[in-house]
Amino acid sequence: MKSPGARGPTLVQAQRWAGTLTAFSAFAACAVSGEMGAVMVALFPVAVVGASIPGSGFHGRVQWAWTLLLGGALLVFAAQVFAGQVDVVLAAALFAELLCIHRLWHRRTGRDEVLLLLLSLLLLCAGAALAAELAFGFAFLAFAISGTWALALTHLRSAIEAGRGPAGSAALLSSRRIATPALLGGLAGLSMAGIAGAAVVFVAFPRVSIGGLRRASRHAPVAGLGDRVDLSRHGTVADDPRVVLRVRLDPEPRGGRRDLGMHWRARALSQWTGQGWKSQPGGALPVVRLPQRGRERPPVLLGADIEVVGLFADGVVLTPEGWPLSVDFRRPGSPRPPAQRLYRNFPGDLFYQPVDGSDLRYFVAVDRDEPELRALRGRGARYPQWLAADLEVPSTLDARVRALAQRLGGGKDPADAAAAIESWLGTALRYTRDLPGEVADPIADFLFVRRAGHCELFSTAMVLMLRALGIPARNVTGYFGGRRTDAGYYAVRAGDAHSWVEVYFPGAGFVRLDPTPASARGSTQEGLRARAILFWDGLQQRWRAFVVDYDLITQARAMRRLAQLVEETGRRLAGKDNAPAGRARLAATALAVVLVGALATVLVRRRARLRKRGGELALTADQERALRLWRAARVLLRRAGIEVAPATTPRELARRVPVAGEVAVIHAEARWGVGTLPASTARAALRRLRTALRERVATDRAA
Amino acid sequence: MTPAWKRRLAFTRMGRWYIALTIGIGLAATNTGNNLLFLVLGLLLASIIVSGILSEQTLRGVHVERRLPAVATAGQPALIGLRARNGKKRAPSFSLEIRERGGDVAGHGFLVLLPARESGEVAYRFVPQRRGLHRFRQLEVATRAPFGLFEKSRPLDVPGEIIVFPRVVLAPRLSAQSLARAGEQPEDRIGLGLEVHSLRDHRPGEDARSIHWKSTARAGRLIAVDREQERRKRICVVLDHRTLRGDALERAVELAAAFVVRELDGGAEVSLAVAGQFLAAGSGEAQRCAALRLLALLEEKGADTASPRPEAEAAVIEVHG
Repeated sequence: MKSPGARGPTLVQAQRWAGTLTAFSAFAACAVSGEMGAVMVALFPVAVVGASIPGSGFHGRVQWAWTLLLGGALLVFAAQVFAGQVDVVLAAALFAELLCIHRLWHRRTGRDEVLLLLLSLLLLCAGAALAAELAFGFAFLAFAISGTWALALTHLRSAIEAGRGPAGSAALLSSRRIATPALLGGLAGLSMAGIAGAAVVFVAFPRVSIGGLRRASRHAPVAGLGDRVDLSRHGTVADDPRVVLRVRLDPEPRGGRRDLGMHWRARALSQWTGQGWKSQPGGALPVVRLPQRGRERPPVLLGADIEVVGLFADGVVLTPEGWPLSVDFRRPGSPRPPAQRLYRNFPGDLFYQPVDGSDLRYFVAVDRDEPELRALRGRGARYPQWLAADLEVPSTLDARVRALAQRLGGGKDPADAAAAIESWLGTALRYTRDLPGEVADPIADFLFVRRAGHCELFSTAMVLMLRALGIPARNVTGYFGGRRTDAGYYAVRAGDAHSWVEVYFPGAGFVRLDPTPASARGSTQEGLRARAILFWDGLQQRWRAFVVDYDLITQARAMRRLAQLVEETGRRLAGKDNAPAGRARLAATALAVVLVGALATVLVRRRARLRKRGGELALTADQERALRLWRAARVLLRRAGIEVAPATTPRELARRVPVAGEVAVIHAEARWGVGTLPASTARAALRRLRTALRERVATDRAA
Repeated sequence: MTPAWKRRLAFTRMGRWYIALTIGIGLAATNTGNNLLFLVLGLLLASIIVSGILSEQTLRGVHVERRLPAVATAGQPALIGLRARNGKKRAPSFSLEIRERGGDVAGHGFLVLLPARESGEVAYRFVPQRRGLHRFRQLEVATRAPFGLFEKSRPLDVPGEIIVFPRVVLAPRLSAQSLARAGEQPEDRIGLGLEVHSLRDHRPGEDARSIHWKSTARAGRLIAVDREQERRKRICVVLDHRTLRGDALERAVELAAAFVVRELDGGAEVSLAVAGQFLAAGSGEAQRCAALRLLALLEEKGADTASPRPEAEAAVIEVHG
């Protein structure tokens, strides 16, 4: 039945849509984990569409087939769980998805709708266990809003059905005047209140974890910086804008630079393969303390709080420019021992184990004080034995390369030779992301044919030329860059992958040199996609920081901060001038103003309400004066030793104490009658009463 | 006197499931330390709080009154009106159920929406199963809004009472003996009956219908006829219920009520004599209500109660159990 002149959905339609949206949001919360598999992810939208077209006719039909399907699915999932093929939470999520689909195809009564909502809630919980991504947050928000709609409309539907019976409720249920935009908007507002409440509960709920049945880590290592570089690849070096590292530096770079322009070292590759580099053979040993740099000057410390995005966490510890002093995997302030352990290989690369594919956070301290090339002059060319691998010159090295090396650095001090080669490469050759493809000698091709290449060719050419001059050098891989985000950290992106050179100087160790033109280092992505990815990553990072990683320590800090804020507010209200500075002061003042404003509003409204309610009871000035006169008289009488019970009326008192008669009469006339009571009359009456009482007391004493 | 702050809270079936799930999720969150589960838990707990606040907002400022029907008869449906007024300035009230509580009558009405500063009325059907006094004590305003998880109700003192008349039964036909003194009785005075009382000269301005045409023709002048005043049929229904108990008393009361109604409908003046009480003869709706009310409230009496005293000049219908 259509209500004339009304638009929009009927109550039942709106309620069903809200239920479907809720189920879909819960499913999305699971699906964003990426663990459900393509089939199960595709199944749900198809089932939703199917349920909205022919599904309504399926209620109660072929129930045996559904029972069979669900029973079979349950058995399969249980078997997979017992066989260790599927995680129990994932199996529960998949089964809950099937139950949701079943319910979507069999919806008729309010009870069906309630069951669908409860199943959706279970699906959301499974999603919470499966995913920690920001996308879950958006699915959660959608669930909160659509769930509020669904709950309220389902309740309304059930209440109408129960309150009016099937016949009486039909008109209301099919009315288009109930589920109006105003109602849906109001409910959305209500859901915002719910979300705000959820945030408060989330922040305040004690983070005491029992740690019983925890879900095992799920990812396997995916990608990262390999132990091999191949220079004969085809195509173009991808400028991938995905974020690899999130870095916070201590101290922060001066002026909050937008581009950090820092080398993030991963590993050194010393062995030439003919087409590229590979790492030296040999394992890595666990280390407790990193080797310290022998030097006279005090170190210039730089701390880097690094968060490696899980997809790119492959067991290599990335360190900022400088001599690494320490690596700490402990979360700041956390009492728990870290799960990761630090390893170091022969070339000094740092690794960690275990690698679980999830995001990893560690803190690296480095001594940033690196010697300049000028200061490395005159250190000679006597190198220790263990540098043999870094001096190895490939037998197939093109003679032109040797000749070029000789031309640029022959006969020079190693420091000057290195500087000359670095400078020549950076100025004489051009940077390009186009890969050379399969060529017999990629370096000769780079130096003498194409005269253009990417960072690996620049660094390789320099290493080989230095080695040709007898100077130990090695190729180093890592990242170069760091773009400041709105969230306050520097993002190092996959497109910032870079290659450079480390040259050995006696007494100073390996020193970093980078022959790639400075303008061509790192990612050059500035487009909309790159900005969107950075923005998303900023959101994701905030989500992680404030939601996913919120723990007992953070909670304690937050509570302490709140207590401080309240204390400061109190201090400011008390007028003590030792308030905090900056934003905290502003916040304290704002809070105080809001509190005072709220209090004043409450008082004013209360007063207005009382006045309105009192209406005819509002006292005139004469009546109020009479009331004050009576109160003052009571005080005088009490002082004179005459006890006046609270319920005693003035006339009763006058009968008992005749001297109070005048006051009683004046009071009664002004308070209850039509008489007036000027202030002078009241004062005179009070004076006379006082005198009379004094006389009475004196008489009593005399008696 | 029920205080204004008093509320009753009960879980609905869905609310019980909801609470169970909330506890389960809370345990899971505490066990695993998974913050996203804490977030879900926060949403569930916040929804409970929001639900509590809104249901309170819905109940606050709602005033109700009961509208009782003028007449109710046992075994016959009667509509009892429930009027609710939302005294709040701005906030509407949703999903209000108004129901009887604590009295002899059970019934409820449902209002989907009660806008601010507006009134709404619902009615429920009440079929009394017995005669007599039915008391109403409280009305309970309940709501499950906004989510149907809990039912919050507020009892309000709205006392009232209604007298339910005896069940309607068919009155049996009376025997000739019973009707011995029945019928209209002429009185020896001028009135508006059918019998001729006397003839006299017609007075100018008098109704032409009073002219006795035969006598006028005989006398050659206008002769009017005066008719005798006729007294209406007077019936006294007598019920001696001193020895009647339980169903027998009920049957006798129903029968007496049926006689009273039938005779009043037939135009008679009816009086009612029961043990210890007497209702003087009368007619019309007022007499019917008075007689039925007396019968509705009739209770069992002991042998020491005075026996019924039938009206001397009325035909007597004696009702036996």
